[in-house]
Amino acid sequence: MAGIQYTLNRLVLMIPTFLLVMIIIFLLVRLLPGDPAIAIAGDKASDADIAAIREKLGLNAPLWTQFWFFLTNTLQGDLGRSILLRAPVLDVILARLPTTIFLAVYAVSLSILIAGPLAFLAAVNRGKWQDNLIRAVFQVGLSMPVFYIGLILLTFLAAQLRLFPVGGYGETFLDRMYHLFLPAVTVALYTSAILMRNLRAAIIEVLDAEYVQFARAKGLPSRLILGRHVLKNALISTVTLLGLSIGQLMSGTLVTETVFAVPGVGRLMLEAIFARDYPLIQGLTLTFAVLVSSVFLMTDLFQSWLDPRMRLS
Amino acid sequence: MKAAALAVGLALSTALGSFTIGSADAVERGGTLNFARYDGSKLVDPIYADRNPDIWMVGSLFSTLLEPTADGTDLVGSLAESYEVSADGKTVSLVLRDGVKFSDGSPVTGEDVVFSLDRARNPDLGPWAGLLAAISSVSADGGNITISLENPDPALLSMLATFNTAIVSKKAFEAAPGATDQEKSAALFAKGGPGLGSGPFYLSGFEQGASMSFAANPHYWKQGEDGKPLPYIEGVNFQIIPDDATRVLKLTAGEVDIAEFIPFSRVAELDADPSINMNLFPSTRIIYSPINTREKRADGSPNPLADERVRQAINYATNKEALIGLVLQGAGKPMSSPVMSSATRLAVDMSPLYGYDLEKAKALVAEAGLEPGTEVTLTTLAGSADDATIFAALQQMWQPIGINLVAEQVDGATRGSKNRSGEFDIHTYGWVDDVNDPSQVTGWLGYYPTRKAVGTGWNNADFNALYEASSTEMDPEKRADQYKQMQEIYAEAAPLLFMYETPFAVAVSGKVDGYLQTPLGNNVFENVSLER
Repeated sequence: MAGIQYTLNRLVLMIPTFLLVMIIIFLLVRLLPGDPAIAIAGDKASDADIAAIREKLGLNAPLWTQFWFFLTNTLQGDLGRSILLRAPVLDVILARLPTTIFLAVYAVSLSILIAGPLAFLAAVNRGKWQDNLIRAVFQVGLSMPVFYIGLILLTFLAAQLRLFPVGGYGETFLDRMYHLFLPAVTVALYTSAILMRNLRAAIIEVLDAEYVQFARAKGLPSRLILGRHVLKNALISTVTLLGLSIGQLMSGTLVTETVFAVPGVGRLMLEAIFARDYPLIQGLTLTFAVLVSSVFLMTDLFQSWLDPRMRLS
Repeated sequence: MKAAALAVGLALSTALGSFTIGSADAVERGGTLNFARYDGSKLVDPIYADRNPDIWMVGSLFSTLLEPTADGTDLVGSLAESYEVSADGKTVSLVLRDGVKFSDGSPVTGEDVVFSLDRARNPDLGPWAGLLAAISSVSADGGNITISLENPDPALLSMLATFNTAIVSKKAFEAAPGATDQEKSAALFAKGGPGLGSGPFYLSGFEQGASMSFAANPHYWKQGEDGKPLPYIEGVNFQIIPDDATRVLKLTAGEVDIAEFIPFSRVAELDADPSINMNLFPSTRIIYSPINTREKRADGSPNPLADERVRQAINYATNKEALIGLVLQGAGKPMSSPVMSSATRLAVDMSPLYGYDLEKAKALVAEAGLEPGTEVTLTTLAGSADDATIFAALQQMWQPIGINLVAEQVDGATRGSKNRSGEFDIHTYGWVDDVNDPSQVTGWLGYYPTRKAVGTGWNNADFNALYEASSTEMDPEKRADQYKQMQEIYAEAAPLLFMYETPFAVAVSGKVDGYLQTPLGNNVFENVSLER
């Protein structure tokens, strides 16, 4: 019962979050220097053409009127038409979103697969050569920009060794796994470095906790101690970090999708910003906000399962 | 223009072939070309194409009545086998070629031509209608087309060889779903398939922002070297790869056959690769910097660049060859005409146009009384490595003449806004001709009523009068003389920092023959063949 109440509370809290996001993105987009009408019509257009476009887009209307239209239309599921792509924003986003979600889930899965076992290995071998080696390697992953890691992987694994395609995203599920492997690894290397460090520290902390010492003293088998007591408790802070990393990962798709020629919403966002495509920027930001908020919600729910005390607080 | 009867022979129509790269002795047929693009098409419709990635693809899907020769200096027949301009210059008569068909096999008729040209000149539709403003009516009697003009227009024939006058099938267009012309156009592009155009290909697949594919039009009227219809290849697959490094990697990994817009810093490396033909196609692309010539800056302060001598001085103080070496790794040449590229018709070769002469520059600023240390702002594109290099070079080059150059970094949309509002001192810019006539670029750079002479505010009555006279002058010699005078006036006034021309850098796999990018930028695939 407390779990359902907690979930409902979290859902209600998302409403003001979205409203705030809508206000901020609406204002931020309009604070950007540069006239969208010029971006749409191009440098070669006449002043009359520019004026006509401004009128057509409703850019001459007062700001609050523009916001009211944006708000009411959005609530009715109408995100407007993309100026750049001449198509409904929702359709454009829905066409590109699965690719980005696929990439994000792929990257997160790889991050967990990489970070989990290595953090465990490093923690149980604290201070030994295995621990030092793992930490040193991940330090490199943390200190290099994502696009640089991507280009290195592309050059060696794709262009020279021809193990993977240089870009694209494939047709079937397996084909996509193959095509998106390098971009997913690129993102995962960075994320897993953060996760590994955090998880390692958390495991070490839990290993020293009194209840673990007590479990050992009781003679419980190591597998049970590690699985039931250590891992579950160490995961609490790491799950929070994972949720935050996914938010960061979404913004990282802007770079990754451009370098690897992946046609997802990250690359679309860059195109929309350069073209001052207001409806598309607004729609995409809202989409990112929904995705990230959903991830945070899931993170909270998962955490409350790991640590039921959170529901009560 | 005297009564001009310019019959165009069928033989000329294959002139393109002589300018393309490579020439296969025995051309192989078949195969699909994989092409890595820097940006994707959004809508390839003759009248709505307004971005280069759209404009440059129109010719592959749609044919025009006339077409430019590969070097861009002349016109030849395409769907029209002949054309004639009346003595008073107010009527253009064309005869459609026998047997020309759309890609679904239906015939191209006079009715399609009337529909397409009426659509193209409708100011409520596409942005290019102004280029056809002289037309008062278009009519057809079978395959005989008559275009009546309000006034003579020496650029009209060039317009009939331009993407926006390409012929679309009236029947296919009207049958498309949608209430408006725009909706029908978008629906047709989204659906693809044969029947809309009569170009060498038809659109066979499109995924917004990711890929696009063309399939060969089996009914295309041009013949290949083997006496069979062009194109030689079965189709073209386009992949959109915005990142320069990834595009190059795609080519070197053998995943694509052609990669366009190669960064100039990579040209030498790819040129050394024996499996790649590194092409630098001549273009009408010029890189220049508009100078604010208004007496006052936008903030009301005096504008040192309003003095013609100061503008001349910065032109003399700019070592263009050095800039070309730094930015283009030598793959370019200084502008030789002040208002157009050397590949544009009626360009006058005035080279060296403000050749590097520091002493002359110093004398000019001294004469103008320019205060040493005068601050001038160069507005550049944020994130552009080229602009950053240009700024660093100009800062050093202009320091000896007393100019303290500072940079202001903005994005493209902001730069466009500043250009229109005059809120700049000098900023980087570029241009590629869209039409095979000098009127467009000259109007853009110099004719004040068009766009305040590319935002510089330069307003010269003699230049404006010459431009207006040239727009109805049908005598080629008189028109050429008017353009010569305009170029001389413009060079003297120097409302621009005249910089350089750049080629189109396209890396092509050694197994590809016959690819061409025209000086206007159009991608021509109809003569491409693949070694298999």
